Formats: sequence, C-alpha cells, structure tokens
Amino acid sequence: MGPGLVESIRTLFAHDDLFWTLTRHRIRVRYKQSVLGLAWAVLQPVALMLIFTLAFGRIARVPSEGIPYPLFVFSGLLVWSFLATGLSNATHSVVAHSQLITKVYFPREILPLTYLAAGLFDLGVGGMVLAALLAYYGHALTWSALYALPVALLLTGFATAGGFLLAALQVRFRDVGLAVPLLVYLWLFATPIGYPLSAVPASYRPWFLLNPMTGIVESFRRAVLHGLPPEMGVIAVPLLLTLILLPVAYVVFKRIETTMADVI
Amino acid sequence: METVDVRCDRVSKRYRVRTARRTTGAGGADGWFSGFRTRDDDFWALRDVSFEVARGETLGVIGRNGAGKSTLLKLLGGITSTTSGEITIVGKLSAMIEVGSGFHPELTGRENVFLSGAILGMRRRDIAARLDAIADFSGVAAFLDMPVKHYSSGMYVRLGFAIAAHLEPDILLVDEVLAVGDAEFQGRCIDRIQSLKRRGTTMLLVSHDLGAVEQLSDRAILFDGGRVTAAGSPHDVVSTYQRLVSGPDSAGVANTEEGDPGAPAVRVTRLTLQDVSGTAVLTATAGAPLAARVGLEFTAAVTAIVTVSFYGFDSGTLLTECSGEVESPAVDGPNGAVELIFTLPALLLAPGAYTLGVTATVRGADRPIAWRFGRTTLYVQGRSQARGVFAQPFEYRVARPEPVRAGTSPQL
Repeated sequence: MGPGLVESIRTLFAHDDLFWTLTRHRIRVRYKQSVLGLAWAVLQPVALMLIFTLAFGRIARVPSEGIPYPLFVFSGLLVWSFLATGLSNATHSVVAHSQLITKVYFPREILPLTYLAAGLFDLGVGGMVLAALLAYYGHALTWSALYALPVALLLTGFATAGGFLLAALQVRFRDVGLAVPLLVYLWLFATPIGYPLSAVPASYRPWFLLNPMTGIVESFRRAVLHGLPPEMGVIAVPLLLTLILLPVAYVVFKRIETTMADVI
Repeated sequence: METVDVRCDRVSKRYRVRTARRTTGAGGADGWFSGFRTRDDDFWALRDVSFEVARGETLGVIGRNGAGKSTLLKLLGGITSTTSGEITIVGKLSAMIEVGSGFHPELTGRENVFLSGAILGMRRRDIAARLDAIADFSGVAAFLDMPVKHYSSGMYVRLGFAIAAHLEPDILLVDEVLAVGDAEFQGRCIDRIQSLKRRGTTMLLVSHDLGAVEQLSDRAILFDGGRVTAAGSPHDVVSTYQRLVSGPDSAGVANTEEGDPGAPAVRVTRLTLQDVSGTAVLTATAGAPLAARVGLEFTAAVTAIVTVSFYGFDSGTLLTECSGEVESPAVDGPNGAVELIFTLPALLLAPGAYTLGVTATVRGADRPIAWRFGRTTLYVQGRSQARGVFAQPFEYRVARPEPVRAGTSPQL
C-alpha cells in the first residue's frame, strides 16, 4: 500500500535536519584525507573536457556553433556530470546503508536526495569554473545567463525522479547497479554534448529530441553561452517527462520502501 | 481511564524466503533465466500478536532467539510493515539501539554524534544541548575530536549507544541494551532506563537478562514461535520462560529456576536489592552500602539457613556468600511470610556484572530445599576503572623522601 504522496512529503519535511546533516557530511567526507580537496568536485567534467577537446575539437574537428570548443563542451559536460554522478550515487544510496535501513526508520528517500544535493554543490563549483572559462575566452556573461537556473532545477527534478526509481530497483535487483554505468556511458554519446544538435542530420533530430537530456543540455547551453531562454519545442520533452515522472517515481519509491528492510 | 500508547491488534508478519531452484537440464534457454526461477517459501515471524502498552508502562518482552521479538520491534519502529493486523502508536517513538554502524570512520566523534543523532530523529539543537551528556555517558569525551576510525571497538559501541540513550521520546524501544559494552557501561544504561521510566516514558524492553526484565517491567509477554504464549506479571512470565528453556543457562550458574513448586517447608519468594535510601536497585556502586532482602514463606515450623551467593556473570564462579538463620514465624495460618535482610556496609565487589542466587536449607539437612537462581543480576559501577575481583578500599598520599642533609650521609 504505502502512504499517500502528501503524507510522505510531510514526513520528509519533518526530517529536514537529517537531510541537511547528511548532505553536509556527504560533501565533507569526500574531501577528508584527499590532497586535491575541492578540485575533485570539477575534476570529472574538466578531465572530460580536455579529452573531448583533443578528440572531437582538434582531431575530428566537430563544429561547435562558433563557440570555442572547450567552452562548448564543458558547458554540456557540467550538466552531464551532475546527472551521471547523481544517478550512480543514488542507485547505490539505499543498499549502501543497509545497516541503517534494518535498524532505524527515517524516510529512505533522504538517502538518494542527499547524494543529489551534494551533486548540486559540485554543480555550483563547476559553474564557477565555467564562469572563469567564459571570462578567459572573452565571452560576455550577462544576467540572461540566469535562464540556466530554471534549467538546472529541471535537471535536478529529472535526476531525482531517475534516482528514486534506480535506488528502489537496486534494492531488489542488483543488476541495476551494474547496468547503470554502461547505460550512462552510452547515453553520454547519444546526447548532443560533444557535438551540437544542429550537427545532427535533420532526419534524426526528432529522435534526438525524444531524449530528455537533449533538451536539458541544449537549453542550459543556450542560456549560459547565448543568454537566451529555452525554446519550448526543445525543452517540452524533459519538462513534461519530469512533471509526470517525479511524482510517479516518488510514489513507487515509497511503495517499495515498506519492504526494503525485508529484502535488502 | 488509562491511555494506551501502543496497541497491536492481531499482527502477523510473513517473510518470503526465496529459494533458487537449480535446473538440472544442460544450458539452453532455461539456463539463461535460471536466476528468475525461484520458489517462495513462507515464514511467519509473527502470528496473531495482540497486546497493549499503557502510557508510562514498561512491558518486558522475552523469548528465545528467533521467537519474533526483533520482528516485533521492527514493526513497531516502522522499519518494516505488517502482513496483516494493525499497530497503533500514540506519541513519538524511538528505538534505543546501538547506531555505531552508521558512523562514518573519517568523521570525528563529535561529527558522528550529530550524524547519528539526526538519523535517530533528533533535532540538531537538541543534540548540541546534549552533546556533553552524551560524551560523558560514553566515556570517550577526551577523544571527541578524533576520527572514529582511530577508536577502539569498545569506544565505538559506547559512543554509538550513548547517543541512543539520550533520546527522549514518549515511547522507547529498548533492544538488548545489556549486550552493549562492559558491565560498568551496562549498569549506566540500566540507570538511564530507570530514570526515563521515572519520567513516565512508555517502554518496551527486550532482553535476555531476565533479572532486568523482572525488575524493570510492570508487565511481561513471552514469545514462542511467533506467538504470544504468556502474558502477565513479569514474575510469572519469567517463570514460564524458564520452564520453557529449562537447562543450564549461559552464565554457568547451575540452575535458573525457582525451587520445588511442591510444598516444602520453606520457599524463597523474592530477592530485592536496595541502596542506602531504601530504593530497589539493579545497580550499585563499589564501596557503597547495599541491602539484600530475601522474601521467605514458611509452611512448617523449621529453622532455615538462608544464603545469598554472588556469582560472576560471565564466569559463573562463586565469589562470596552471605548467610543467616531464620526461624519460621509463629503463625496462625499455614503461610508464614518473613523477610531476611542482609546489610552490606560496603559492597566490596569490583565494577562488573554479577548473578545472585538464594538458597534456603533446613537446619540439619544436607541439601537446600528452596532456591532461586539466575533471576537477579547486579551491575556494580565504580568511580575508577578498577580491575580485578573485589574492590579493595584504599587511600593514597604522595610523600617525598626525607631530604638528605649534609653531614648525615654515610661516610664512605
């Protein structure tokens, strides 16, 4: 059965202290006893940017809509890193805390949520690196780049929905945790990150737009690189999908939650 | 009308036990999906369990391992859900469990207190307010700013439990608190439970320490095979349980039962320990006075020699005894109740856990005719971490050697 949506959300908010404490610890723990410290927050997108720039920018000479290629690819990779790290952390979040799950009750969705929140912190740090890159390439950063914020919100909502589903499934089927890295890897190349959507042959484009990450990456780029609001036709798929999927994923998660301690 | 805080109404819990069936056929399409070919076997961990706990009441829960006690606590704690039946809980419920497993090794003790406290449902400011008390209770106050990965396993467990011990819920689930830490720490836990009980906390107490269950609980229920098989006064339920598991207990004490229920000349009805103020206690301080009161019931005019024996809780070794003689009181009726009070001006046992036994022997007989073993556990606490068997009273002073004066040193 599981509790109702409204009641679940109320219980979740009653545990806000736990959410903040856990999020703080996730961020803190990551940098304890590490030499590079905060740099790890952006190392993944920066490293990917370097290899993409070499492989696609220099060797394959992929177009980048007149934007310097490193800037172009980094803005996309930033979004991608959040999704990839968020989904893989969220997938393992519940199972990794099986010791707690079988001992004490708290709303289990706090586990994937805190990993995603810690990912937002990394996204913020990455945003500052992006701002520095923009300045380096003499790209004007205007207030209209703030269009990126609602896009980031949509990204968070989409990742949360995916995180809920994967975390709940992983409790029952450990295959999920093994499949996620592979799927995320394939998804990276199926999404216009290393190349612009405009470079995709027109006949394929509708299929690309069905990929929710296409709309999110394109809209994010449009905002930070061109200072333009999202195009409705591009963002419609991820927006609708998230609006439907997020409540559904939450209800499914809460439904599975009641048996988590038994099967974990 | 008394308020009921916890109500279980015909609660059942079924676990599905998955057993993978091996396909004997060689490979083929069958082999590919053999992982999905499972059969579900039902296991009923609880069956039609009904009981109530009134506000401020302490309910003792006893039973053998696997009898359903832990499943019950999981259901009450909201960790898992019932298969059928209904659980009603009024008020904020917390479980007093050891949460050291939720510690992050890289974080300091202090950071982990906040983390674990939050997991147990405490507000951050409440944890901050109780931080000193938690650190004192755990005995690791000096190491609070050290990453817990450097803690000994004992420190780890004590800090983990200290956090749970400082919850202040309306309803408290206590699961095997006496399995945590050393005897000294266990004594502190019992004191904590008693003080929460005095404050009116409703409690469910699960323990294998029958002495603690009998003396801390107002009522008790016995689980066997997932069902409640006995309910009533802690004394009666503990007796029922002891008949169920009859045999030597783990403490090594010969018997954990009461003497002959027949009609001997004398019966031992109870053993209570009291501190200097006359309060019944389960814990005592090494070096402090203690009284042991033995309740007796005579049915014939005899003189009984009553002995209270102190055994090591783990070793079962007899450490000391107190004996006294008592004549049956001049009674009109068949039952002559009398109490024998042993006063120990100073308890000389070292900090630790002890099992107490009582025997009554008719003078002239060679074997006791009434006894009561393994039902009273005494936790002795001490101010210092003294080791050994008994607490030797001592004082000390610092002295300097006499200064060596010129001229008085021996001439060589």
